[in-house]
Amino acid sequence: MKFRKINCAVMFLLLSISIQSNANTLPADLSWENNNNAKPWASPLATKGGKFTDFILTFPPTLRTVGPDSNSSFRSYINANQLGLTDFHPNTLEIIPQIATEWAYGQDGKTVFYKLDPSARWSDGNPVTADDFLFTLDFMRSKHINAPWYNNHYTNEITSVKKFGDHTISITGRVAKPKEELHYYYGLVPTPKHFYKKIDKNWVKKYNWKIIPNTGPYQISKIKKGKRITFERKSDWWAADRPLNKNRFNVDKVILKVIRDTNIAYKHFEKGELDSYALVLPEFWHNKAKGKLYDNGYLEKFTFYNNSPRSSSGWFLNTDNSILKEKPVRIALAHALNFDKVIKTVLRGDYERLQAFHTGYGEFSNKNISARKFDLKAANKILDEAGWQQRGGDGVRISNGQRLSLNLVYGRKEHSDRWSILKQDALKAGIEINLRLQDSSSHYKTIMQKQHQIASLGWSTGFRPAFWQHFHSENAHKPQTNNITNLDNKNIDKDIEAYRAETDSNKRVKLANALAQQIHDSAVFIPSFKVPYTRGAHWRWLKFPDAPGTKTSSTLYSPFGDGGIFWVDSKTKIETKAARKNSTKYSSVNKTFDQYRENTSD
Amino acid sequence: MLTPQAKKRWIKFKALKRGYYSFILITVLIFLSLFAELIASNRPVVIHYNGELHFPTYGDILPGTSFGYDYQWEVNYKDLQKQFNLEDKGNWLIMPVIPFNPLESDFIEGEYPPYAPSIESKHYLGTDMAGRDITSRLIYGFRIAILFSLFLLAVTYIIGVFIGALMGYLGGTFDLVFQRLIEVLSNIPILYVIMIVASIVTPDFWTLVLLLAAFSWMGLTWYMRTETYRENSREYVMAARAIGASHSRIIFKHILPNSVSILVTFFPFSVVSGITSLTSLDYLGFGLPAPTPSWGELLQQGTANLEYQWIAISAVAALSFVLTLVTFIGEAIREAFDPKKYSYYE
Repeated sequence: MKFRKINCAVMFLLLSISIQSNANTLPADLSWENNNNAKPWASPLATKGGKFTDFILTFPPTLRTVGPDSNSSFRSYINANQLGLTDFHPNTLEIIPQIATEWAYGQDGKTVFYKLDPSARWSDGNPVTADDFLFTLDFMRSKHINAPWYNNHYTNEITSVKKFGDHTISITGRVAKPKEELHYYYGLVPTPKHFYKKIDKNWVKKYNWKIIPNTGPYQISKIKKGKRITFERKSDWWAADRPLNKNRFNVDKVILKVIRDTNIAYKHFEKGELDSYALVLPEFWHNKAKGKLYDNGYLEKFTFYNNSPRSSSGWFLNTDNSILKEKPVRIALAHALNFDKVIKTVLRGDYERLQAFHTGYGEFSNKNISARKFDLKAANKILDEAGWQQRGGDGVRISNGQRLSLNLVYGRKEHSDRWSILKQDALKAGIEINLRLQDSSSHYKTIMQKQHQIASLGWSTGFRPAFWQHFHSENAHKPQTNNITNLDNKNIDKDIEAYRAETDSNKRVKLANALAQQIHDSAVFIPSFKVPYTRGAHWRWLKFPDAPGTKTSSTLYSPFGDGGIFWVDSKTKIETKAARKNSTKYSSVNKTFDQYRENTSD
Repeated sequence: MLTPQAKKRWIKFKALKRGYYSFILITVLIFLSLFAELIASNRPVVIHYNGELHFPTYGDILPGTSFGYDYQWEVNYKDLQKQFNLEDKGNWLIMPVIPFNPLESDFIEGEYPPYAPSIESKHYLGTDMAGRDITSRLIYGFRIAILFSLFLLAVTYIIGVFIGALMGYLGGTFDLVFQRLIEVLSNIPILYVIMIVASIVTPDFWTLVLLLAAFSWMGLTWYMRTETYRENSREYVMAARAIGASHSRIIFKHILPNSVSILVTFFPFSVVSGITSLTSLDYLGFGLPAPTPSWGELLQQGTANLEYQWIAISAVAALSFVLTLVTFIGEAIREAFDPKKYSYYE
C-alpha cells in the first residue's frame, strides 16, 4: 500500500509539471508595443577609437554585484554593462527596448510580457534566452548569495517569471501598478545560467574576482588589483546597430584609475592623465578650475542644466511641538527665512531655491507651487495676529510666557554658515533659531525618534513622488517612520491612499498635483536649495554632441549606461599636446547648456 | 599680609621681566575683553537722538520704531548713522572701534565672502566664510576661551585639591580606592567622551566646563596627595594635632598653605590646556554650538580654505600669541617658586 501511495504522489507530480508547461501559452489578446521610433541622443559626427581615463576613489572590494561588500560605487560600472529588458529614454522618459524588442501588458495590471531579441549574446558568445531570466529568479532567491534584500525582493515583490518558448517571457509582480512603473519595479536583468550552473555555499568567495559574462557594450578586460580596472569595447557587440546605440560607446578603452584623494586626482587631470573632471563642488569650480590651462583653452568648462527628480531638501517642522503646531507660526517662519540671501552670498550663487517637496518629476510635480518668499512684513503681521505681538527685551516674541525660540538640528558642520545667516534675519521677525549641530548618525537618530523641533535634511529621490511615507498619518506620532513632520490630516490621507491605489497615469498626475498643493498649504516643509545642473571640465580632445548630456544626465562624463555619447578626437589630442609644449593658445571655453533648465519662478 | 616667603617669590617673579610683562599684558587683555561690547559691537557706545542720550551697548534692543522707522526689530545702527549724517539735525552716534558684532554677517554687494582685510570696510582682519568680522570674533572668542579655561581651572582645582588632600591625609583604604579610581578615569580618552556626549546633546558653556572638569581633575590629585603625605609627617602638623586641631583645620590652615606653591606652578599650564581643549573641540565641531565666536571654529575655516590666508593667519597668530604669553608666565612662576633656591628645610 505504502508503495502505491508514493507512486501516486510521483504520478501527480509528473502530471502537474506537464500541466504547468502546457499552461504557458501566451494570451491571445496582447497588443505588443516597441517604440522603435524613439529619437537618438548621440551625434552622427562621433568617431570610434581612443581611450577614456577616469578615476575611482577606492578599488572595489569585490566584482560581485550582490552579496557582501558589493554595494560599492564601482557596482554601477558593472551594472551599466548588464542590459535589462527595457530602459527609459533619458530625454523623453518613454520606454525603449534593450534586450526585449517588444512588450505587452496583461489584463491583471501586474504582468508584463516581453519578446527577447534572438540576436542577444553574452560576452562569451552564448545566446541570451528566456532561461537566463528564469534563472535570475532562482539566483536572487538563493540563500547562498548572502543578500537578504534581494532574496526578499525577488520572492515577495516579483512573484513569478514564466517562459513561452526560448524568446518570450512574462513577469508578474505583487500589486498592480501604472504601466511604466511595472517596468521600473518589476523589470529583470538576465543572469548567465550557462556560466554559473549551480549556486552553492561557496558562491560568495568563488565569484569575488570572476568576470561575469555581460550583454552591454563593454566588458572588463584587465584588472590590476588596487591600481586600475580597464573596460574594453566589444568589437562585435550584438546591439551596436540599434538606432539608439549608433554613434554611442565610441572609445575603445575605458580606464578607471584608483586615486584615493580628489585633490590629487585633480592634479592628474591637470597633467592630462585624466580626460575629465566633475566640478560640481563650489570650492573646486571657483578656486581650482582656473588659470592658464583654462585661459589657453586646453581645458573646457561645461555647465549642463539637467531636469531630474531633486532631493527634497529643507527644513522639516515637527507639528507635535507646542509652538510649531500652530500653522501661522509655521507660515511666518517660512517668510522669515532669507534663503535667497544665503544663495547670493555664501553659496556664491551656485545653488537655486527649491520650490516644493517634489520637483523634477515631470508632470507629477506641481509647477504652480513656489516656496514662500522672504517677507518680514508678512511674517511680522502673521505673528502679530496669531497672538505673538509681545516682544521680549532681546526682540524675541513671547506669548503666554513662552518665547518664540526654536531649535534647528542639522548634521553637517559645513552648513553652519548658511543657517547662521538665516538666524540673523529670522530674529527680525522675533523668531529665535538655535543652531544644533549633531554628528550625522545622531542627527538621523534624533529625527527618527521625532525629537526635533526643526530638522534640516534632504530625502533622496525616487522614480515617482512618494507621499505615503512622508505625509500619511499612519506614519505620524511614532518613531522610525519617515513622516518627520508628524503631519496628520484626514483629507491628505484620503488623497494619498487614492494616489497609491490609482493605476491610471493621468489620474495619478492629478492626485500628485493636488497633494503637492495640500502639503504646501500645510506649511510643514520649508524648501531650501537644489543644484539644478552638473558641471565639469575636460580636455579639448573630448568631443560632444550639440547637447552634451540628456535631460536626466547626472554627469556628462559617463562612458556607459545612457551616456557614452562623447568621443575622443585623436588628431586634436596630438595637436593639443604639442600646443601645450609651445604655448599655442586656443580660445577659452566656458559653456552653459540650459535647454533642459526648469523654469524658475522668479 | 604676604608671608615673607611669598613676598620673596613675588619679587623674584617681578624680576623675571618676560613673565612679568606677559602677566600684565594678559591681565589687561582679560580685563578689556570683559568689556568687549564697547570695543566690537554693532551697537553704538552712545547715541544722541532728539536731545536724549542713549547707551544701547548693554540691555534690551532698541527697536526701529524708537528712531522713527516702521519696524519692530533692532534698529540698524549703520543706517541710522548714515541718516544722522544726512539729516544734520544735531543727532549723532559713536560706534565702537570695530563696528561689528561677532555674529553679524556683513555682505558687500556683488562680492562673495570671505572679504580680505581692509581699512575702508572696517574689517581690519577681513571676514570669515560667512562674512563675519574676524577681529570681532577673535575678541569674543578670546573672552570665551579664557573664561572657559579659568572656570575649568577653578572646578578642577577644587575637586583635585580636595580629593588629593584627603587621599594624602586619610591614607589607607580611602587612598587606595581613589588611586585605582583615578587610574581608571585617567585612561578614558577625554576627547572621545566629549565627542560622544556632544553627539547626543549640544553642549553649552557650562556643560562643557563640567564635562571637561569631570575628566581632568585627576592629574592634580597625585601632586596634592604626595604633598599632603609629606606635610602630614612634619612636626608642625603633629604639633597642631597635639593641641587638638580638627582635621579640617589641619588640612586647610596648615597643610594647604604649605603646598600652595605646587598648585600655583601648575596654574598657567592648566590655562593653556583649557584653551587648547576648547579650541580643538571647536575645531572638530564638538565644542560650543555655532555661531558662537570661537578660535577653533575660525581655525577650522582657515584650514579648510587655505586660499583665503587671512583667516588661518589671524587664528593661528592669536592662538600662538596668547599661548606664548601664558607659557612665559608659567615659566616665570616656576622659576620664582623653585624650591632649590627659596624653600627652607629644617
